[in-house]
Amino acid sequence: MTHKLILQGNDAVALGAVKAGLRFFAGYPITPASEILHKLVEFPEVKVLQMEDEIASINACVGASLAGAKAMTATSGPGFSLMQEGIGLAHMVEAPLVVVNVQRVGPSTGMPTFGSQGDLLQCRYGSHGDYFSIVFYPNSVSELYRYTMEAMNAAEESLSPVILLSDGIIGHLSETAELEDVTIKERSLKPLGHGNRHFTSLTHTGSYPKATAPSAHQELIAGLAKKTADVARRYVRYEYLPVKGSHTLLIAFGAVSRAAYHFKDHFSIFRPVRIFPMIEDLKEIARRYKTVIVMEMNAGQYTLLVEALLHRPVGFIPLLGGAINLEYIKERIKKCLSGTT
Amino acid sequence: MSVRNYLRPERLPTYWCPGCGDGLVITSMAEVFEELHCDEKNTVLVSGIGCAARAPGYFTLESVHGLHGRAVPIAEGIKIVRPELNVVIISGDGDLLGIGLNHLIHASRRDTDIKVICIDNQIYGMTGGQKSPTTALGVKTLTSPEGNTDRPVDCQALIKAHNSFYARATTFHLPLLKKAIRAAMEHRGFAMVDVRSQCPVNYGRRLGYRNAYEMLMHFKQHYKPVKGVVDRLAHDEIGITSENPKSQIQNPNSA
Ligand SMILES: Cc1ncc(C[n+]2csc(CCOP(=O)(O)OP(=O)(O)O)c2C)c(N)n1
Ligand SMILES: [Mg+2]
Repeated sequence: MTHKLILQGNDAVALGAVKAGLRFFAGYPITPASEILHKLVEFPEVKVLQMEDEIASINACVGASLAGAKAMTATSGPGFSLMQEGIGLAHMVEAPLVVVNVQRVGPSTGMPTFGSQGDLLQCRYGSHGDYFSIVFYPNSVSELYRYTMEAMNAAEESLSPVILLSDGIIGHLSETAELEDVTIKERSLKPLGHGNRHFTSLTHTGSYPKATAPSAHQELIAGLAKKTADVARRYVRYEYLPVKGSHTLLIAFGAVSRAAYHFKDHFSIFRPVRIFPMIEDLKEIARRYKTVIVMEMNAGQYTLLVEALLHRPVGFIPLLGGAINLEYIKERIKKCLSGTT
Repeated sequence: MSVRNYLRPERLPTYWCPGCGDGLVITSMAEVFEELHCDEKNTVLVSGIGCAARAPGYFTLESVHGLHGRAVPIAEGIKIVRPELNVVIISGDGDLLGIGLNHLIHASRRDTDIKVICIDNQIYGMTGGQKSPTTALGVKTLTSPEGNTDRPVDCQALIKAHNSFYARATTFHLPLLKKAIRAAMEHRGFAMVDVRSQCPVNYGRRLGYRNAYEMLMHFKQHYKPVKGVVDRLAHDEIGITSENPKSQIQNPNSA
């Protein structure tokens, strides 16, 4: 069943989470993510904690998750930075939860009310050590609703923290949204208080710390990698809009992909929604194009990874300081095509 | 369950150095758990990182060994979701009163019904003996070779600022330690037990103590047990303080 209404992006995240069975939310106010916290307070079935900081919030989510609740937190860049160690913990103790990051311009306090896409590499590599987060990045209010549910499902299936990326533009956007149902995955892990398990942040085998055994570590990391990759394969989510006769593929996601749609009659467009792990199909798709151009609101983060995936140089259009200007994009595309970037 | 059933013999010997006070604290905890019929269905242990924080791994109860300083928010997350569980933290002074102090104060302010057992050896034991937030003035450590000039954290003042339960004991005064842990477990609301303990290897050795025994004798001479429940403890007193009414432990099995 679907129904239509006018909704703000952040509210859609809150509604999607509730629909997916959210029972616990811990967060700390921050622009442009606070509306998620504000909205969730309205739902008696969700225990909402406003904590002393984002470190407490992510750790409380780990505790709540292991205790049996579907848990989520939401923040923006500064808070996301503070949460990195906790995200690593959630991977290590295999606690399913969702971290929403409504990106704003950084580094540091940056431009709090302006959207950005500067946290992509932090999503992938922000915590220390090897781990493999599944990350979704929708581009509309409808999709924010849907992918909040998918993120919660993927977390349950992978027993890992899944990141839902948003940005200040789509987070604060109000538009007509279609709320589409998604089949909800239930918790498979037994909650705390059901056995003799010891969940530890140390390298471990089952309940036993193995902090000095290289083989135990190799096994653990290989296991985590395989587990998240297997689940990610069930969530191959992207949009591909080919144009007959185009030799150019534009890659964009989140708010920027909405600007890319303006060029969809001239250039083919590829929009990854599950942005990590990267969509393998892109390798095959990109082969059909002479030029691949990534447009993103940062200094070239996804571009770097697209080049690594495709083993070829790609064009890049940086959109910095919260500005998305179609004339500027047009100019930059021209420059990419004439080889004078 | 007998006391032995609370501990995992297959994990022996422990990670701790000979003479460490941590073993005395977990034995006392196991005794209290037995008296109160705590079991793996009604009690969960949580810790941060440090020598003391390794304690939960030696218990058969379910447990979470989290991040340095973050035991309190993990425990709060568990307790909010599962109010019927006894959620007990066991961690060190650096963990709870240094990196994690922010959380401790806020949890006591929120009066979240968690029990915090802080093994205070006045040192960062695991990392080799750096000064901790409770290291006394003048004490020489790896990072205070001329003597510590930072005033130690007044844990009691911080906890009692929000009218929460606070008790203090040492690893020499074991009957009092047990009594304090039990009183904390039976208290409804946030409760903190501040256990002064010995680290002979990374603390005592540098101060001229030849072994753990000498450190325990120092506790015996220095700390004066007080009777009953008092408003506040002097810095050299040990005992139980409480301003809130006592209540029965929440035990889903006896409900
Ligand atoms: C974020 C972070 N910083 C530093 C460390 C290193 N570290 C591990 S244990 C510890 C100190 C522990 O001291 P305490 O809590 O007093 O426990 P003890 O070892 O004395 O029992 C430190 C600094 C860490 N694990 N994580
Ligand atoms: Mg210590």
